[in-house]
Amino acid sequence: MNTHDAGPAGGAPPAGPEYRVAHLQDRLASGELGELGVHAEVRGGAVLVTGTVPSARCRDEVLAVVREELGGLDVHTDVVVSESSSPDHAEELS
Amino acid sequence: MIRVAAVGDIHMGPDTRGVLRPAFDTLPDCADVLLLAGDLTRHGTTDEARVVADEIRGLGVPVVAVLGNHDHHDDRQDEVSGLLRDAGAHVLEGEATVLSVGDARVGVAGTKGFGGGFVGASAGEFGEPVMKEFVRVSRRCADGLRTALERLAEEDCDVRIALTHYSPVPETLAGEPPEIYPFLGSYLLAEAIDTAGADLAVHGHAHAGSEHGMTTGGVKVRNVAQPVIGRAFHVYHLPLRERVGADAGTPAG
Repeated sequence: MNTHDAGPAGGAPPAGPEYRVAHLQDRLASGELGELGVHAEVRGGAVLVTGTVPSARCRDEVLAVVREELGGLDVHTDVVVSESSSPDHAEELS
Repeated sequence: MIRVAAVGDIHMGPDTRGVLRPAFDTLPDCADVLLLAGDLTRHGTTDEARVVADEIRGLGVPVVAVLGNHDHHDDRQDEVSGLLRDAGAHVLEGEATVLSVGDARVGVAGTKGFGGGFVGASAGEFGEPVMKEFVRVSRRCADGLRTALERLAEEDCDVRIALTHYSPVPETLAGEPPEIYPFLGSYLLAEAIDTAGADLAVHGHAHAGSEHGMTTGGVKVRNVAQPVIGRAFHVYHLPLRERVGADAGTPAG
């Protein structure tokens, strides 16, 4: 049975993982974090969150928001901190 | 040969104070100039800009920067630029600077740039005022870059570099979702680079992109966003063009 219009008017909004992922991206970008470099996508039955952030504290903050926004979903995270070492070689441009 | 160090998207704030300085202190041994390709702060606050300023002050190599979209977020871009200039950086927006490296003259033209997309999938100056303004901003940035590069051509530079935050080409965005390419760069920047000429184009902004690309006109493009290069900076060795003509090298005027 199609339940598209089964809910009461003014009831809870649909909570499919796609919308929740979109809301997560919105919150990461526009909130205090200002984080545009973390990408979340629905893959199979889970959500994959990837990206590189400037500090361990920033990563902790991102992961806390992910837990809040995607609670109850199967989430895999791979958020790493930027590498700040000197390069070990140069590129020769012709 | 000119040794160009470059990085973008360092997104500094109080919690990353001093993180890049040990690597930056090695610059005089491996580079002649450091280019900063925008998004130097997280939110564009003056507190964050002071962290960046301290990180680059007294480095021993000249520093040339453009701002990124993050550096505009707090609407204090002029103050951010001022703090970086106080620390010795050249901050460019539709402008150029010429640096002396030994006997060579290195010209850098810079703009933040903006979005709009690439050939075949680009925004047009049509419809709602906000849509038209979006495209006009991108066009103004590209025009500023072209004018600055043309000025460098008149100033007898041995090497000319285009420095932007947004990307001039789609190749260096590979890895990002194609749907967001129009928010990551504009072909107008590449057209400006190819029209005026340059030896290298450097940009940031696309954290999940790729390092290497090229404009239609054959100018090498490098995405130096820190998450892409995985280092505090990358170094590119640029050959000096041979001067042609008996009086080449004589300063004009």
